[in-house]
Amino acid sequence: MSRGGKVDARTFALKKRRRRQWLTFIRMCRYGVNNFSRNAWLTIAATAMMTLTLFVIMMTMMSRNILLDSVSEIRDRVDMSVYVQYDIDKEDVNTLKSNLESLDDVKRVTYVTPEVARSNYAEENRDNQRALDALNLADAKFPGTFRVNLADINNTSSLTKFTEENELYQEVKDEDRPPSFAGDKREAIETIGRWVSFAEKMGLLISIVLVTISSLIVFNTIRMAIFNRREEIEMMKLIGADKAFIRGPFIVEAVVYGFIAAIIATGLGILTLYLSGPKLEAYGIIVSNTLNSSIMYIGFVLPVMIVVGAVVGVISSLLATRKYLKI
Amino acid sequence: MILLDRVTKTYGKTAKPAINRVSLHIEPKEFVILVGTSGAGKSTLLKLLTREEKPSSGKIVVGGIDYDSLKDKHIPLLRRKIGVVFQDFKLLPQRTVYENVAFALEIAGMTSREIKATVPKVIELVGLSGKEKSFPRQLSGGERQRVAIARAIVRQPKILIADEPTGNLDPLHSWDIVKLLEKINRYGTTVLLTTHNVEIVNKLKRRVITLEHGKITSDQVSGSYKQ
Repeated sequence: MSRGGKVDARTFALKKRRRRQWLTFIRMCRYGVNNFSRNAWLTIAATAMMTLTLFVIMMTMMSRNILLDSVSEIRDRVDMSVYVQYDIDKEDVNTLKSNLESLDDVKRVTYVTPEVARSNYAEENRDNQRALDALNLADAKFPGTFRVNLADINNTSSLTKFTEENELYQEVKDEDRPPSFAGDKREAIETIGRWVSFAEKMGLLISIVLVTISSLIVFNTIRMAIFNRREEIEMMKLIGADKAFIRGPFIVEAVVYGFIAAIIATGLGILTLYLSGPKLEAYGIIVSNTLNSSIMYIGFVLPVMIVVGAVVGVISSLLATRKYLKI
Repeated sequence: MILLDRVTKTYGKTAKPAINRVSLHIEPKEFVILVGTSGAGKSTLLKLLTREEKPSSGKIVVGGIDYDSLKDKHIPLLRRKIGVVFQDFKLLPQRTVYENVAFALEIAGMTSREIKATVPKVIELVGLSGKEKSFPRQLSGGERQRVAIARAIVRQPKILIADEPTGNLDPLHSWDIVKLLEKINRYGTTVLLTTHNVEIVNKLKRRVITLEHGKITSDQVSGSYKQ
């Protein structure tokens, strides 16, 4: 009987404690939302800074994506040429093509026949009479060309090995034309490759720097907002509020800043891409992929932005209130 | 109710003590006035009682709680047992009179029903009925101090510490506040009042403790004060 009574008492105490915790949580949320709506100027300043931060974060992510898209477009256009004799058998072409395709790092291989190469040349030089005259000379023969796209244009080792060691290639190669990656073009291709990887690394570095700076600005804004209310915190402490109860409303407030700022920043980001897209595309910068995926995955992008905003806000308010919450 | 045994508080290692071997005993339901010039140690003494400061040496026991064995996490619980009123009111500027008073109960986890039953009575006790929805900036100094007192007593503390509560008020409002403190004392709360106001001290005819340079220089049962 008494044991049953003890269990009941414990359950009752537990229920009571949970109810209090729930009540405290609701109150903290209410105070946070109240603070948000009653401190108009601070709210506007903090939300604006948070919007700016999230906008910077979104734009750096998008810029990186755009850079990668544009770079991969450039990479796709850069192909290595491997030349073979103009009278090569069709069978040999197929064998060499499949040999090339089986190499590591090779993304795509296309074969351009001497006839196609000739007509391409004629098309490209249709306004150049001297070039057209040269075409008609008896010894103006075009080689067969394998155009090879590599996954990484900096890494041509397997292709080099192929051109040095493949027996069939040794038999049918065009003696006058070494593979383009090994000749004059090699340096140009490698330079493009180096620039691309430099741009990627710089992009990442700039993103980190920008995100750090704007997070620091948000932290400072929230710190100033909390500094303005330090007496309030002092008073709450003195009448017996515990740390969690004092901190809670500030955290809720920061989450609200983050939430509103995330919605504005996401909208602004997509609008910016949408408006600047046509102009940038004219310069060969590929914006459409990033814009389309942002819109298609808005259900993912927006929550991520909200979480990032809330995390930046919560960390800032935790750090800013810590100073005033010492006993 | 309040016991200090040879309490010393020194800020920094070489400075003169702000409180120097002070021993004091205040009985339950007493009304005690603490007087002294600026820098005499009154504020330090109150900060020691609210545990904003730790003594450098000596023993403090308030309401049966020995501060030596008080853990930091229990300090909020101690403060909920002591009502404190400040010279500058320290109200929450963004909250109404009702919300300011209710706040003291909310932090203690009281239910909304309990709060709704208690707060209006206390607001009426301090004479602010009808001003529940006003914000502190819309009130006079005397009214703000009444809100602060309402907030301090709404949890029915055993001890009320009033630190210069009339310091920012004109004589008429000052006397109103003192009368309110006397009323609270009559309901059974121990009141510790610090003041500079000679007139109030002499009119009240209560126990007066005088602090000078961190030491108690006089303790009169029905005392007076000369500046």
